[in-house]
Amino acid sequence: MDLAEKQAAFEREALIHLDALYRVALRLTGSKADADDLVQESILRAFRAWEQYRPGTNARAWLLTILRNQFVNEYRRRRRRQEATAEIAEDPNAVFLSARAVDPSGEFFDRIVDAKVLEAIDELPEEFREAVVLVDVEGLSYDEATQVLDIPVGTLKSRLYRARRRLQRRLYDYAVEMGYIKASAS
Amino acid sequence: MSPTPRDITCHEALESLFEYLDHELTPEVEAEVRGHLAACVRCTSRFGFEEVFLRFLEAKSRAQGAPPELRRRILERLLLDPDVPDR
Repeated sequence: MDLAEKQAAFEREALIHLDALYRVALRLTGSKADADDLVQESILRAFRAWEQYRPGTNARAWLLTILRNQFVNEYRRRRRRQEATAEIAEDPNAVFLSARAVDPSGEFFDRIVDAKVLEAIDELPEEFREAVVLVDVEGLSYDEATQVLDIPVGTLKSRLYRARRRLQRRLYDYAVEMGYIKASAS
Repeated sequence: MSPTPRDITCHEALESLFEYLDHELTPEVEAEVRGHLAACVRCTSRFGFEEVFLRFLEAKSRAQGAPPELRRRILERLLLDPDVPDR
């Protein structure tokens, strides 16, 4: 493959995932400047390794794996803050049970602004955050996410479960605080 | 014709809640959960609530894409610059 062909193939198959790469980078690094750098470095690595990519296979998961490895190797140790999120009780039913008397179909969620949702995701411990970002935000399958994160599927499910519970609790509390939903005694 | 799905309890259905919503169950287990939901108002309500939450999460967190400036820089670097190291 000559350079022009390689560039065309890369643009067609890899660069269409730039938005996803940027969103994941932003949630992982917590800063636009770092996300910019991480995406650029990852894209460059991917371009250099393009011969290792098998056309027609999952380019998005392949690129996200490169980006996530780059993050782990280069960025994680200089992240803006340590993971010091307080343990939150994870009663699996809590939010639904609280909400069902007043808003069983969860309409209050729609009143919560994007920025608040992103903030809640950013507050998650890193291992929970990356699971949520890949599966819930970018829509990767469990199989793809375990490939990117290099963890067994049971670990992924457990992290997703706990992350979702925490996010839901955090956003429900916010909705109560804002008056989007009435607090319930149950 | 596929066999009638096994009856499962609310507890069993709830154990599969997220895998069901994520479409990650085997067809047999998915049919069991679907069968349970068809007969159980309480679980239907619970599953519906969680589904709304997951859709909301996706919708509110995907609005942002790569800045045009970053895209331009990457294209310039990779696709227009013949000096990109090609190893």
